[in-house]
Amino acid sequence: MNLRLELTRFLNLCFALASAFMFWKGLSIVTNSHSPIVVVLSGSMEPAFQRGDILFLWNRNELNKVGDVVVYEVDNKEIPIVHRVLREHVDETSGKQLLLTKGDNNAGNDIPLYAKRKIYLHKEKDIVGTVKGYIPQLGYITIWISENKYAKMGLMGLIALSALLSNE
Amino acid sequence: MFSLSQRFQQTSNQALSFAIFAAAFVVATFCAQLYQDNVFGLSSSIGNIQPQINVRTSRFYGSVNGRPKENLKISFDLESDLTPLFNWNTKQIFVYLTAEYNGLKKPSVKSEVTLWDSIITDKEGAVISLNNAKSKYSVWDIEEKLSDRNLTFKLHWNIQPWIGPLVYGETNGESPVTLPQTKPKSQSARTSKRSEAV
Repeated sequence: MNLRLELTRFLNLCFALASAFMFWKGLSIVTNSHSPIVVVLSGSMEPAFQRGDILFLWNRNELNKVGDVVVYEVDNKEIPIVHRVLREHVDETSGKQLLLTKGDNNAGNDIPLYAKRKIYLHKEKDIVGTVKGYIPQLGYITIWISENKYAKMGLMGLIALSALLSNE
Repeated sequence: MFSLSQRFQQTSNQALSFAIFAAAFVVATFCAQLYQDNVFGLSSSIGNIQPQINVRTSRFYGSVNGRPKENLKISFDLESDLTPLFNWNTKQIFVYLTAEYNGLKKPSVKSEVTLWDSIITDKEGAVISLNNAKSKYSVWDIEEKLSDRNLTFKLHWNIQPWIGPLVYGETNGESPVTLPQTKPKSQSARTSKRSEAV
């Protein structure tokens, strides 16, 4: 076993991981959103978005319009929600905007989903980003990996195997 | 040297770059097609708007701590031909009728609310002709009162593509309506409600 070779290989692996991380964080800075690409998890926006679709977000806009599809986070809940803006109220002196959202496939608005006693979202605080672009179905692989333990183990095994077998 | 992993990498790289190129081509031609069909100059006619104001006290109708909130419903006529929005990259269009207005107590507050919307998934359904239709939502403002304001109604659309950017636009043809002043009846109902609570 050649120690130098092993170390170089390890360094290459670190390099690949670091560049992926840099790409993600760079995209975060450009779009001003802490999660610029999201995968749809629920069917509440069907037929526009299905489970597994990939959405690209943009958060440099200061105000949202009615009809925009936004991603928001509720306090104490980890899963971001993708829904459409139903109403907006903007105070032009302070620049603060209140939004009410609704899923296209839901019967009612989102007030029951919001944090306790809240009846509006704040554009600045709650919105993760506005959906600008769309790729169908490709994100299903991440859902598959995160929700199926055999898929997760299989992927880990594949990575380990390829690391063992690959010779420079 | 030639190995299985190298072969795999080469193939996947080629597949990826082809997919990116194909997607870029689809998006570019989709946008060109939309401009050629002049979709940003479509017209609509919104007429016969009959507003109706109710006072609600439920949290799900915007009331905070049981204080009365004025809710607006309308009936309306709507005509519009949105067939140019459909081309080979259109998955669905989302059409929505909104009202814009300014605040009464705070005129610096500008608002826009949706009163009616619809999802259209095929070209045949893209010719909208509604007669005396009811609004889908009961709308309230952040202020308690909604009456005595000037509302401007507009029809907007959003194209959801099979792949690529979401496209938004509004139709030409807006329709202004002034909401009637509320009768003093609701005012007295409000004060009696308060005294009850005390």
